[in-house]
Amino acid sequence: MAREAGVLSPRARAARGLLTGYGLFIYVFLFAPIVLLVLFSFNDNQYGSFPITGWTTAWYREVFGDYEIQDALRVTLKVAAVVTVVSVVLGTAAAFPLVRGRLRFPAGFRVTMTLPIMIPGILIGISLLVLFTQTLHFGLSWKTAVIGQSLYTTPFVLLLVAARLQGFDRNLERAASDLGANTFNRLRLVVLPLIFPAILAGALFAFTLSFDEFVITYFIVGSTNTLPIYIYTQIKYGITPEVNALASLVLLTSILLISLAFVLPPLFRLARRGFRSVRGRHELVPEAVPATEY
Amino acid sequence: MGGGSRAAAHLGRFGGLVPAAVYFVLFFFVPFGLIVCFSFWHDFDYRVVHHWTLENYRYFIHQHVYLHTMWATLWMGIAATGITLALAFPFAYWLSRYVPGGLQKPLLVLVIVPFWTSYLLRMYSWLNTLGRKGLVNTALEKAGITDHPLTLLYSRWSVVVVLVYLYFPFAALTLYSSIDRFDWDQLRAAMDLGASPLRAIGRILVPQIRPGIITAVIFVFIPILGEYLPPQIIGGTSVPMLGNVIDNFQREALYARASAIALLIAAFVIVLLVLFRKSLSAKEAYGA
Repeated sequence: MAREAGVLSPRARAARGLLTGYGLFIYVFLFAPIVLLVLFSFNDNQYGSFPITGWTTAWYREVFGDYEIQDALRVTLKVAAVVTVVSVVLGTAAAFPLVRGRLRFPAGFRVTMTLPIMIPGILIGISLLVLFTQTLHFGLSWKTAVIGQSLYTTPFVLLLVAARLQGFDRNLERAASDLGANTFNRLRLVVLPLIFPAILAGALFAFTLSFDEFVITYFIVGSTNTLPIYIYTQIKYGITPEVNALASLVLLTSILLISLAFVLPPLFRLARRGFRSVRGRHELVPEAVPATEY
Repeated sequence: MGGGSRAAAHLGRFGGLVPAAVYFVLFFFVPFGLIVCFSFWHDFDYRVVHHWTLENYRYFIHQHVYLHTMWATLWMGIAATGITLALAFPFAYWLSRYVPGGLQKPLLVLVIVPFWTSYLLRMYSWLNTLGRKGLVNTALEKAGITDHPLTLLYSRWSVVVVLVYLYFPFAALTLYSSIDRFDWDQLRAAMDLGASPLRAIGRILVPQIRPGIITAVIFVFIPILGEYLPPQIIGGTSVPMLGNVIDNFQREALYARASAIALLIAAFVIVLLVLFRKSLSAKEAYGA
């Protein structure tokens, strides 16, 4: 869909060239700090910055041998797994009535459910801290972190699944009914397979967001370390090459996970349709960009 | 359908909302109510006394430093939002108008992916970029522009730059999705009738994507109001924001005072959401 397929005036060509240069600059701006971080993680220099004195994988070996990091990783994975399950269950279940229930104030419900991702995270953190420590007198632990993070991840699952349900042809269910399927079988054989890509994307989003969550967790995790909390306590004292290595690993892991969230669901549908031509405009992005969908 | 299946259908219609609704009430609305109460209670001897008072707000108003922090927070939020939008608009315009259709989505995803990765680490990566021996200083020294490392971190502007970096993907995505629905023939028609390109963009394109612009502004500005990490990591405590005041109070177990500041931020958020609810709701939701 090259929109300027016709003949361009010299002026329009200049504008295009200028803007293309600008576009490239934006990508450099976005990725240079990340590339630099990865570069420094292989740098021999013990201060973790310029000059690059040689290449080494020593910092990675230190990361893998560090018991504190291993503990933090274990906690992080545990929290992320539970958060994923909680938010997929709550979000998927709520998406159905939101789309199909003929609620009296659908927009109001939608806004309410998405409030936790609209407001600054610190408000969730501090209010849960007050709830847990000052009112319920709970001890803070990884469990309280799960409660706070799920509040933030559930809306993403909800939005993804709701968007998928909205484009759902209900005649398929009616057909299944006519063919004798009961409610449970309709759900299992017709609805779930069709919304599965959205649920999968939601789960991957929830897992990644939890894996990286800092703002809320900081207030309500107590003395437990998740990986982001551990990294935070380290970088308060400045840059170290070991943290550069750990940070590179965490960043690459989340980039990988989130890329899966973008790529897997469309692939799933492609596979189901037997790779017929489905290169529509809405294949890749709308499912995986809940951020605009408040 | 029999009576049983109608009951089941009814349960199926609304039952799914129950778990999420209970969860949200217990862990979102109740805590928010607590914050409201706490902000009118009183910290005494590391406990919160349930005695209704305006003392926390009075304290905030009478301490010059907190008012100053509030203005600084608003100022940095406005600056960062303005710069983010100013950078994102030409980018979205370029992506939608000049990039071939097949390449647009992959390039967009490339912008968004960093947005979903660790917020903490994207911030940390700027220590390597702006630090004394970071990328910018090394480049400046190599180019002979300066012979000693400049202090780029620990200033208000460095925090604003990092905020722009953190929120750029969101603004780019929002603007792109509204520009992408624009009919470019209208722009061409305006230019055929003699409008300059910039005038055509300002008079034809911008008014039509106004909801997208407002959505981007509000959803970049709101989270910035509650930031506490960039001022701490990049600003090095020299340029605190309201979020840092909350953090400091809670570290000293002054929960009533922390709640008052939280409520102040929440008030700004609520006012913005209510004022702009028309532009934010329905149309932009679910990409229509």
